[in-house]
Amino acid sequence: MLAWSAVASAAAAFVACLAGWLAGGGSVELAWAPTLGLRIDLAFDGLAALYSLLATGIGALVFAYGAGYLPWHLEHVGRPAHDAWRFWPWMVVFMGSMVGLACARDLVLLFVFFDLTAVASYFLIGFDRDRDARGAALMALLVTGVSAVALLIAAVLLYDAYGTFSLPELFERAGTGTTTTVAGVLIAVAALAKSAQVPLHFWLPRAMAAPTPVSAYLHSAAMVAAGVLVLGRVHPLLVKSDLVLDGLLVVGLVSIAVGGVLALAQDELKQILAHSTISQYGYVVTLYGIGGATAAGAATLYVLAHAIAKSALFMTAGAVTVTTGESQLSRLGGLGRRLPALAVASGVAAATLAALPLTLGFFKDELFFQAAGEHGRLVQLLAVGAAALTVAYIGRFWLGLFTGPLRARPSGGVSPLLLGPIAVLGALALIGGFVVEPFARLAEDAAEVTHVGGLDVAPAYHLDAGTENAMALAAWGLGALVLLASRFREPLVRAFARAGERVGPRRWYALSLLGLNRLSDWAHDTEVRDLRNSIAAVLVPAAALIALAFVVTPTRGSYAAGSLGADDLPIVVLLALGVAAAVTAARDRGRLRPVLALSVLGFALAGVYAMAGAPDVALVAVLVETVLTLVFVGVFARLPSASVRRPRLRARNAIIGAAAGASVFAGLWGALSRRTPAEGVAAEHIERAPGAHGGDVVTVILADFRGLDTMVEITVLAVAVVGIASLLSRGRPW
Amino acid sequence: MSLILEVVAPRLLGPAVMVAAAIIVKGYADVGDGFSAGVVVALAVALRYVTLGAERAESGLPVLRHAPALAAAGLLLALAIGFFPVAFGDPPFTHFPRPGEHVVEIGALELTTAVAFDVGVFLLVAGSLVEVIHQLTRLVEGPRR
Repeated sequence: MLAWSAVASAAAAFVACLAGWLAGGGSVELAWAPTLGLRIDLAFDGLAALYSLLATGIGALVFAYGAGYLPWHLEHVGRPAHDAWRFWPWMVVFMGSMVGLACARDLVLLFVFFDLTAVASYFLIGFDRDRDARGAALMALLVTGVSAVALLIAAVLLYDAYGTFSLPELFERAGTGTTTTVAGVLIAVAALAKSAQVPLHFWLPRAMAAPTPVSAYLHSAAMVAAGVLVLGRVHPLLVKSDLVLDGLLVVGLVSIAVGGVLALAQDELKQILAHSTISQYGYVVTLYGIGGATAAGAATLYVLAHAIAKSALFMTAGAVTVTTGESQLSRLGGLGRRLPALAVASGVAAATLAALPLTLGFFKDELFFQAAGEHGRLVQLLAVGAAALTVAYIGRFWLGLFTGPLRARPSGGVSPLLLGPIAVLGALALIGGFVVEPFARLAEDAAEVTHVGGLDVAPAYHLDAGTENAMALAAWGLGALVLLASRFREPLVRAFARAGERVGPRRWYALSLLGLNRLSDWAHDTEVRDLRNSIAAVLVPAAALIALAFVVTPTRGSYAAGSLGADDLPIVVLLALGVAAAVTAARDRGRLRPVLALSVLGFALAGVYAMAGAPDVALVAVLVETVLTLVFVGVFARLPSASVRRPRLRARNAIIGAAAGASVFAGLWGALSRRTPAEGVAAEHIERAPGAHGGDVVTVILADFRGLDTMVEITVLAVAVVGIASLLSRGRPW
Repeated sequence: MSLILEVVAPRLLGPAVMVAAAIIVKGYADVGDGFSAGVVVALAVALRYVTLGAERAESGLPVLRHAPALAAAGLLLALAIGFFPVAFGDPPFTHFPRPGEHVVEIGALELTTAVAFDVGVFLLVAGSLVEVIHQLTRLVEGPRR
């Protein structure tokens, strides 16, 4: 029921997106926080249409597949059926944030949706909640989430330089220069981490701990696509710097190679596909690095064809595992005769990835070769190598599964719910091989956002001896050679994979995480070993900071002693009372007396506030003092009456206390010596309070002038209460 | 605890709620706001816990168990007041009536959305603090019922 409502919502969203695209799009713009330049600027343009259609269309198919897969999975790992509630809502949230990300035309909004997808993916990857899945989820969140901060930094840099977060305005205003280059690099880092590009690729293979529908959705058409979506969206900014483009080109080519070689080295089905995804998005990144009209069109068509093929292949891996119970390629084989429909459907998907003719995939490589050819001889050669690698690893995957001797026996046919979505995607890829126009039009609309200015995406079969055809033939030949020469290939790719494990970035991730953990443990141990240390951890840095401020600021004239009149007598008396209470609290060895002395001190200070014209502060101070005293009394009433061991007075405590006291004294004196500025925000607040129908300026500030601050503060209070309830009684509110 | 305190403390809740109401009603024109009002109510409840013990304090006043709901309602009310102007194209925390417009007054109570926001703050603070008292006494005295 739940699963089918998810399917229905995805299908409805797909129809809406399709209608929106055919109607020519549209845009919404709302004020969010105008004074900060924040707007909710969503546009359903070509790029948004492409990625929304992918997210909702493939979403609907994968959700339908999941409706068949998840019950099996939950039963397989021994979890109750209602745990589906921990799955489907996140899938839908993910789909929603993906559509939002596709439409966002504002850097801050882009960042928000970027992180929303990361949060949803955290819960989806960690769905199985075992050690492996949780580590994988954390790794995906850390790698993509921490890099996403680079996007925010870039947004702030650009805002500082050009005064806007809006992308269309930035494209106009931003010039070539260091700011644009640095911002471009930062945005690229965030996008490349999300698209699992070398050297931040290692989270993706680990994320295969997720259930198969999650991989089929997030790791083919959605989460990893978010990175290249951002690249496509901000591309007019990136082209202003050659450094960024060259960087993209290098990262893309290296990712193609590393992902492809590692895909050849893997034995587990989903691992092969994960490394293939790294490699395939490497193609797209390469194309964005090449830049220009042809490459922009090639990139969008590539994303489209890859998403269709890769999600079908992920679902194939899941279906094979469901029916045979095996997930290693070396223990599988010969399934073609037993599961002919699955073999054909996934065969079309594999052929699409390998860019064989009569599939949509052929055109993605045709455009890729064309763009590479325009860029130069070296890139052209590397492009052929890349395509050959793809042919080799995807051939190894499909041939290994469906041909050769039968190894693991399937326990029956594949259920229609699992087969259906794969067949639909296979059919789509096949239709694309004959009628490419609708796909090309979608890609063209999307590419027009990336490459401002006219462009024409018109892939077709050219039966001639053109360069692209020659490159394609060379790639297939080379790929077949790599595929067949398994005796030479195996030791090489194994050695590469081992080297990667030993010195690769994943090891650096583990080491840095370990180091951070140790640092945090050390800080925690030193700080909270006992109450004295926790207090010292606040007092000592405060004292040190104020002492530092002393050293660097001029002190002449900043410490004044005013005159003392007869009117000040009440304040002086109250302060003297406070001093006496403070000394008592510090010196008295009893239990209740120091507490009472402390509350006397608090009430004395409240009296001072009342005298000094701050009745609101005085009211709050009285209330808080009363609450604190009551808490102490309530706790003491329940303590055993036998006296506890009293700590000795230590010189260290006295020194820390004296240093903190002296620095606070000096800081306060300096603050009180300054003249109150006659004009300023305080005066304006007082002047405007009657206009807001208020007599008490403090209340008016809290509820009106600074209402948003109050809102955030009370939200923090609510969150704290939820936290207390979760920690003390497992979230039961009462 | 002395007998006088045991008799007086539970009877302080009514006056405390009255004081809180007064603080809110007068708050926009005079000293005090929703936060202070919330703390006053929580103070009376805390006094009840200290004198009667948690068990008697809660069984004698079952209405206390609605504190979490009260806090949630306060948060929602504050959110709604703060953000409903967005629906009409105004920035968040635009209060009505606007400056210069006429304000309906019932005695000292001014009917403005700012006061309603303050009521939300009051509900949240009072509910949250009572909830914290409940959780902490549970921690000290172990689960009840």
